[in-house]
Amino acid sequence: MLEFHQVHKTYTTPQGPLNVLDNVSLRLAAGQSLALMGESGSGKSTLLHLAAGLDLPDQGTVSFENQNVASLPEPTRARLRREQLGLVFQQFHLVPSLTVIDNLRLQARLAKRDDADWTNYLIERLGLHGMEKRYPEQLSGGQQQRLAIGRALAPRPPLLLADELTGNLDETTAGEVLELLLSLVRETQCALLIVTHSPQVAAPLDRCLRLSHGNLLEAAP
Amino acid sequence: MIRVLSTLLSHYRRHPGQLIMLLLGLWVASALWSGIQAINATARDSYARADALFDTQLDQLERRDGTPFSRAEYHALRQAGLPVSPMLEGEIITQDGTRLTLIGIDPLTLSSDNALAQANTSASLSDFLTPPWQTRVAPDTLAALEIARENASAATPTLADGKTLPPLVLAPALPPDTLIMDIAAAARLLESGDQLTRIVAAPGALAEAPPGLTLTRATTLASPGQLTESFHLNLTALGLLAWVVGLFIVQAALGLALEQRLGMLRTLRVLGVSGRSLVLALSLELFLLGLFGALAGIASGVWLARSLLPDVAATLNSLYGAGVGQELNLPWHYWVGGLAVSLAGLLLAGSGVLWRAARLNMLELGQMQAWRSGYRRQLSLMSIAGALALSSALALYGWLHFQSPGDGLVAGFGLIAALLLASALLLPPFLALVLKVLARLARRRPLIHWALADMQLQLPRLSLAMMALLIALATNLGVGSMVGGFRLTFLDWLDQRLVAPLYLNAPTEQYANIDAWLADRQEVFERLLTRRSDATLQAATTPEGSRSLGTPIELYGITPGESLTPHWPLLATQQDRSSAWAAFSDGAIFINEQLATAENLSPGDRLTLSAPGANETLTIAAIYPDYGNPSGQVLMASPQLAARFDAPPSSMGLVLSDDADVDTLRTALRERFDLGSDALSDQREIKRIATEIFERTFTITRALNVLTLAVAALALLASLLTQARSRRQQLAPLWALGVPRALLAQLNLAQLSGAALATGLLAIPLGIAITWGLVAIINVAAFGWRLPLYLFPGQMAVTLATAVGVALLAAALPTLRFWRASPRALLAEEANQ
Amino acid sequence: MSLRLRLTLRLLLLATVALTLYGCDEEKQTETNSTGFAGLGQDADGFRHAEPNQPLSFPQEHAAHPDYRIEWWYLTANLEDTAGEPVGLQWTLFRQALMPPSERPAPTPWVADQLWMAHMAISQGEQHQVAERFGRSHSQAPLNTPQDSQAGVMISPFYAWLDDWQLKAQESDSSDFSHLTLTAYSGEGASRFGYRLELTAEGPLVLHGEEGFSQKAANGQGSMYYSQPFWRINGEVTINGETKTVSGRGWLDREWSSQLLDARQSGWDWFSIHFDDGHKLMAFQLRGGGNGDSNDADQEQSADYRSGTWITPQGDATPLASDDITLTPLATSTVAGRNVPTQWRLEIPSVGIDINIEAPHANRWMTTSVPYWEGEVVINDRASGESLGEGYLEMTGY
Repeated sequence: MLEFHQVHKTYTTPQGPLNVLDNVSLRLAAGQSLALMGESGSGKSTLLHLAAGLDLPDQGTVSFENQNVASLPEPTRARLRREQLGLVFQQFHLVPSLTVIDNLRLQARLAKRDDADWTNYLIERLGLHGMEKRYPEQLSGGQQQRLAIGRALAPRPPLLLADELTGNLDETTAGEVLELLLSLVRETQCALLIVTHSPQVAAPLDRCLRLSHGNLLEAAP
Repeated sequence: MIRVLSTLLSHYRRHPGQLIMLLLGLWVASALWSGIQAINATARDSYARADALFDTQLDQLERRDGTPFSRAEYHALRQAGLPVSPMLEGEIITQDGTRLTLIGIDPLTLSSDNALAQANTSASLSDFLTPPWQTRVAPDTLAALEIARENASAATPTLADGKTLPPLVLAPALPPDTLIMDIAAAARLLESGDQLTRIVAAPGALAEAPPGLTLTRATTLASPGQLTESFHLNLTALGLLAWVVGLFIVQAALGLALEQRLGMLRTLRVLGVSGRSLVLALSLELFLLGLFGALAGIASGVWLARSLLPDVAATLNSLYGAGVGQELNLPWHYWVGGLAVSLAGLLLAGSGVLWRAARLNMLELGQMQAWRSGYRRQLSLMSIAGALALSSALALYGWLHFQSPGDGLVAGFGLIAALLLASALLLPPFLALVLKVLARLARRRPLIHWALADMQLQLPRLSLAMMALLIALATNLGVGSMVGGFRLTFLDWLDQRLVAPLYLNAPTEQYANIDAWLADRQEVFERLLTRRSDATLQAATTPEGSRSLGTPIELYGITPGESLTPHWPLLATQQDRSSAWAAFSDGAIFINEQLATAENLSPGDRLTLSAPGANETLTIAAIYPDYGNPSGQVLMASPQLAARFDAPPSSMGLVLSDDADVDTLRTALRERFDLGSDALSDQREIKRIATEIFERTFTITRALNVLTLAVAALALLASLLTQARSRRQQLAPLWALGVPRALLAQLNLAQLSGAALATGLLAIPLGIAITWGLVAIINVAAFGWRLPLYLFPGQMAVTLATAVGVALLAAALPTLRFWRASPRALLAEEANQ
Repeated sequence: MSLRLRLTLRLLLLATVALTLYGCDEEKQTETNSTGFAGLGQDADGFRHAEPNQPLSFPQEHAAHPDYRIEWWYLTANLEDTAGEPVGLQWTLFRQALMPPSERPAPTPWVADQLWMAHMAISQGEQHQVAERFGRSHSQAPLNTPQDSQAGVMISPFYAWLDDWQLKAQESDSSDFSHLTLTAYSGEGASRFGYRLELTAEGPLVLHGEEGFSQKAANGQGSMYYSQPFWRINGEVTINGETKTVSGRGWLDREWSSQLLDARQSGWDWFSIHFDDGHKLMAFQLRGGGNGDSNDADQEQSADYRSGTWITPQGDATPLASDDITLTPLATSTVAGRNVPTQWRLEIPSVGIDINIEAPHANRWMTTSVPYWEGEVVINDRASGESLGEGYLEMTGY
């Protein structure tokens, strides 16, 4: 469902051009889970942004459901993100002006797939019951991350992209959040791409790739 | 301390925009304020000089029939023992076409505490009295004479007619555009022969007027300072408004600069800087910034004043006949005052920041949450303060209700200020409420829901700018409606008053002959002779009793013919129009609104008027509007005025038949009576001049209004720019969630224009309230006339459009920047967070 | 404001007697010896000079002499009211040419080449009221009626005036100078003062010096000077709002000159005396002018220039030479912060005069723009103390 074909991405930096991705190819089938590991600055996030259509490759193609993302006009790419993708950021990026419940349902509503039963179930599963009327800053870090996961899963996207999912959480919370995520992913049968530097996060996933100096290597978690 | 200060200031190196905004706000606030103060100071200086000259310090003698005196008559008066002095007054035209007033005096007989003292220089009196004589002139008149100040002394400028002025002597105490010289030199320049313009005497030196002459006491001549006081109060109020609006910008910028530096402040505290030295450093920072902004502001204020002054001078001259110098004349306290006001404003705007810095909690976490409850508390405080301001406005209104009309100029301004303050304070709670309600309604529309919820989040930072916008809009609407209403009323009134197509101004003694001659002309349908004279209103008898007054008034005589009476506007009558006119023809009087307001008179009251040789008690039959006249006027039928008060004719309106050939009549009149070119004026010409004066009167008001609105727009732009960065951080995740950038940009614009629209909607009733305050309280108190309250739907639409336009304009730049930002930049910011 | 004004007026006054003064500091100069009292010692280039052997012809000489720098019509009177209380009065019309004849501007309306100043004073007991007026005229402008000018002098009939202060012939159709009316009033209400007097000459005009040339300094400069000392006066005076009927004797001086004083002369003491036996005496001394920097009294006396005229009841005049007159101040009074001699001894051996002259009231200071002392005096025989008459004393430069 997601395919990178000989993707190149170069950034201009004050120190000269920086080859972030060099001839990267990968495939992710529906329902499959993939961990992408690498050092800080190895290009993991860039790869994720390309996957989400937030950025476009310099060379090569990124295809989603066999459609070249770069060939799609901006609005269509936005619709793709809205309806086909779930995004979970390291910083959660909850909308501070909306309550917990409204944050949770935001993307589903945007995708016109708001389903009250499913959201209620998610609230229950995410352990946010009773906190619906709160605002994001009134939640703990773990709760905020779970809310972010809920927001991404609310429209039941076929693909979930997560960036350093647990980077901002302590170890115990991180474990709980990861566990919750995986079980929900299983329930919804969506594909999962996680960018992480943590082997613990990568371990339970189907595959694990390592990004190093712009090249992608098959790796053991 | 220096280290702390430089650390604090380093913030602006990374955020120069905030520094610019801060200085911009200070600059704008102090520029507008000091500009207006410069105008006021210059005008006051001119009044003081004019006051000190002749008009208000000397009694004046005039002949009852208005004809000029001769030298022999003056000598006869002196030889009869009257301590009078001759005065010659005329106009000279400089080579650049400027008209200057030339006053010839006789220093030997001029009463002691007067002009010469003011105009004195160290030169000897014989130089003043003997050829080549001297021209005493204020330095600010030199420009009109095209003479540089350093070459001024003893210069002998040539006039348009080729004559030269006596050598100049600078006399700064003289009013602008006035030349003083010995009467002999003046008589040569003016070619006045043995005629003189006025005969004056020291105040009170004459017990009574000699037979055949009228004596006008100095005390009864209103000084320009008094007349124009309200005009300057208006200016000052507008200046104050601009200052307040400018401070909104400062407040916004300062608040942001503090918020972004909270972390830095905390770090400094943790590193051992005491709270006191932190506050001190912040104060020092404020003071430094304030000094820069205020100095720049005062400099621009002077520039602004310089460019507005010609209009102000023209207005004051046409409205009140008060001469105001075209050159700024600023006393030292102006500069110090301007600086002090700017710094005080800055301190006011910065006090919140200092307060917060002083109470800074070193370990404070969870900013957002604290902030949200803080804002809620702020909203409730605003509501309470707004309610208080509103009740004081109501209290003022109630108080004014029990005052006689014409009182309470300051209370009127107070009422408007309280209303503005109340509205400004209530605006954020109002907007928050609206947003909350709408957000609840729009839950099913995620983007709209988000936009509304997001707007709530932006509100704290935008609210000050929105307040400024509200005030600017409401004032704009209020003043606009007032001016518009005034124009309608005034033009209407001109139409009603100017019924004759042709008006004649002839030498007094010629009217009888002209009248007889015109009586035989078939095309002249009616001759409307007016007369004018001065009198003292001795007493008024009202149903409450008798009051003695002693107010100087004008007597004006009109011919109540069939072309005049149907049109002449009346505000109040005892019964109805026709009976009022019937009573008028039988000897009753009408009084103008100014007089009715000033002395609290109504139709049916009786007035005792006295003029030399006459003392009459007459009944008021009606009150009529008399816009633009600074003094009280009593109207009576021309023949009555002639019979009772011996008033000379002053003009004649000629109502012509439909087929009359105006040009032929005009030529015939001129040739037959040897009349000057300005003796006959067209109705259209008079209207044009009147309208021109009117337009000029409001030029400044409008200019300042536009400036205020511009400042409000700037305040909004400032707030938006300062939070553009954090806005982008809010928008980026939404974009990541799949909302297209164009849509986000549109939403952004919609959010702001929506808020502006709500502000604009609130500004409309507020503007109407201001209009009402202006026409019903302030105008009555300041000018003595009340205007009908006109509302202009078009103007309200324009106000709304302006509100939205201003918001869109202010939002355009940040939105464009967001829209044009590369996705990567958005994400980079996101990743950088 | 009013301070500046007063300075202006002060300057104006100085200008009436001295043309080239600038600024207020120089005002002091007028009181030093450099230009004499009030600048009267100035050089008079361009003006006609008073000289001997200029025969005077009347009535023309009663009119103004605009070719000379300064001129006055100066009346003093010793009167008494119906209660017998003495009343003194003074009325003076001063003329001052603003420029020499050659520099006169054309006489267009209001243009002046002559400045006029009038002083009036009336005194009784401790009461002393003073007023001052100013005016302008042009000597070349037509002068047919008083309304042609604010101030001036006409001779047929005689009419000298500044505003409503007028000295004029009683008969309006003659050039008679022996029946005049003097009117001058000032002030309002309780402070009103002035007089309306009828003057009748009981003797002839008297020419001083050499047929009317009165030398004023050792170097020969002087003035044209004649008097009418024989006025019999009746009328009424008003002082502090109270009007009284008065009668008595008056003395009118006429004097014109272009340089009255020597540049070093600092002031004068001038006496006009009516003796009860019908004789009249005019005597003056101009102080300074010799080597007057010595403190020695005799030298000082010799540095002063004295002159006088002894007049018989019939009007025959005998000029008195400088060394025939001895004037000795006996006592001074402090008036307006200055020490003014108010008791004098006057000796004129040639006519057998040795008298004491005493001002009964010292407060006769003229608070005019140029201040001076002018007041009534009584005359006593020095030996017997017997009262011999009365007169007027003018002292300047103190």
